[in-house]
Amino acid sequence: MIENPIIEAHNLTVLYGRKPALWNVDFSLPRGKVIGIMGPNGSGKSTLLKAIMGVATPTSGYTKVYDRELDEVREKISYVPQRQDIDWDFPASVWDVVSMGRFQKRGLFKKLTSEDKDIIAESLEKVNMLGYSKRQISQLSGGQQQRVFLARALAQQGDLFLMDEPFAGVDISTEEMIISLLKEMKDAGKTLVIVHHDLHTAQSYFDWLVLLNTRLVAAGPVSEVFNDQVLTDTYGGKLTTISKISQELENKEFPIRHK
Amino acid sequence: MNDFYIIFTASLVAINCALMGSFLVMRKMVMLGDAISHAVLPGIFIAYFLSGSTGSLPILIGAAFSGIIATLIIEWFTKRARLQSDAAIGVSYTLLFAIGIILISKFGQNADLDQQCVLYGEIEYISLWLKPVFGLFELPKQTIILLSVCIILIAAVVWGYKGLFITTFDPNFALSTGIAVGFWHYFLMSGVSLTTVVSFESVGAILVIAFLSGPPAIAYLLVEDFKKMLILACAIGILCSALGYYAAKWLDVSVAGSISTVIGLVFVFVFVAVNLLKSKRDVISA
Ligand SMILES: Nc1ncnc2c1ncn2[C@@H]1O[C@H](COP(=O)(O)OP(=O)(O)OP(=O)(O)O)[C@@H](O)[C@H]1O
Ligand SMILES: [Mg+2]
Repeated sequence: MIENPIIEAHNLTVLYGRKPALWNVDFSLPRGKVIGIMGPNGSGKSTLLKAIMGVATPTSGYTKVYDRELDEVREKISYVPQRQDIDWDFPASVWDVVSMGRFQKRGLFKKLTSEDKDIIAESLEKVNMLGYSKRQISQLSGGQQQRVFLARALAQQGDLFLMDEPFAGVDISTEEMIISLLKEMKDAGKTLVIVHHDLHTAQSYFDWLVLLNTRLVAAGPVSEVFNDQVLTDTYGGKLTTISKISQELENKEFPIRHK
Repeated sequence: MNDFYIIFTASLVAINCALMGSFLVMRKMVMLGDAISHAVLPGIFIAYFLSGSTGSLPILIGAAFSGIIATLIIEWFTKRARLQSDAAIGVSYTLLFAIGIILISKFGQNADLDQQCVLYGEIEYISLWLKPVFGLFELPKQTIILLSVCIILIAAVVWGYKGLFITTFDPNFALSTGIAVGFWHYFLMSGVSLTTVVSFESVGAILVIAFLSGPPAIAYLLVEDFKKMLILACAIGILCSALGYYAAKWLDVSVAGSISTVIGLVFVFVFVAVNLLKSKRDVISA
């Protein structure tokens, strides 16, 4: 067990209709770390983040953040949904989207203050998107859309960041930019929970891993859980060894999805 | 003066519908608006039956609850009975609409309602019921009610803009920040019910649906900002009302039918024009 965990899940089960998306998942996560959540498509990664944020309702079991009721600590959590969760053809500008990150602190019925506007601009600056603030979101590339989502989460100014596939569909330079931003955030004491697909980079990006396949396969420090046995259990028989994974990755395109 | 009354009244319906319809279009819920506009019929009948022909605003607001009940029934079918949502919508609104039609055909005389009026409205005869306003000027009774609702809806959209916007754009994110997404859903549905209840007598159910979906869809093709979309949808609705009215006068056909047709034609025109411009731009930039 981890002392003073930031997130814990106890016997967490989420059903959609009769179909389980998560089955009896138990783990706790340490503070101040970069934590990866990995597993094949449909393994319940997004559902896990949604359950933590109260967006999906557990059928049984529960999650806790900072050992409190969710409503007491919501303001400390920033959330980046999966990019294809929303309609990017919506008539909204980059600025409109990022300013939503301030609605929680300011409430829905007060005007955003100049302090809010500074925070929004700063968040956009951090992801190199300030120059695009008037742009309609449909006119952004996938990587730019991802950065807008990140900026909105930054504008929430949480201590805990839950990010659903922030690297999906971004090119290498954007990925590097995001990674250095994440390092900065970690150094500032933030805890980052990141849904990720690329096994190549898992070891270098994360301190801690949660491997899911509807059930929890393993959770722990990367050095302990990133091994052949666990990866086989997570991804099934198709990938048998880490070396074979790298080979397969070179041969066929890995599921980085576009729009 | 008659021309003015008719165009003004149709424009008020257009504005009310554009304000609600823009949110429905972006939520991909126009079908639900469509369902509500039919499902309120029993509520309307009860309202008129209780008050005779003088459908007053408080009674109509009461009738708008039948729209909310319809939404609840549809949600119940979808969530509890695990019916696909389009099937749930289809089943519940046809049922409620049919009950309304039966009530009206059986007891309609007592309430001064008939099926004709429900489907097509009677905007042509609107100026038969003039009422003084503050002793200053006269407006048709229907128009006064529509104007009051228009003011209520504008106030509601201004007051609730951020809540409606964020829950339309990204409901999951809104939920994650603790926003009561359900409240905003029913807030909007109340507005849609109220709009359809007060609009049907003047323009009928068919034009209400055309106004709810057409002008917002046209505006969506033309602008990149949601606030502009709201305003442009209102403007397009007003324009179509005027064009439709004069077309009807010229061709001597139903006003509601003519306005619906104009909305459809404008949509096709704008859709083709926007796509032609786009492909031209692509050719040039390529
Ligand atoms: N709203 C929903 N209604 C019904 N089923 C759902 C819903 N959301 C997810 N599911 C199902 O639950 C399972 C887990 O989905 P989830 O989105 O959590 O997977 P994921 O690991 O995030 O997948 P991906 O890698 O594709 O993003 C899937 O089988 C999915 O089809
Ligand atoms: Mg997912």
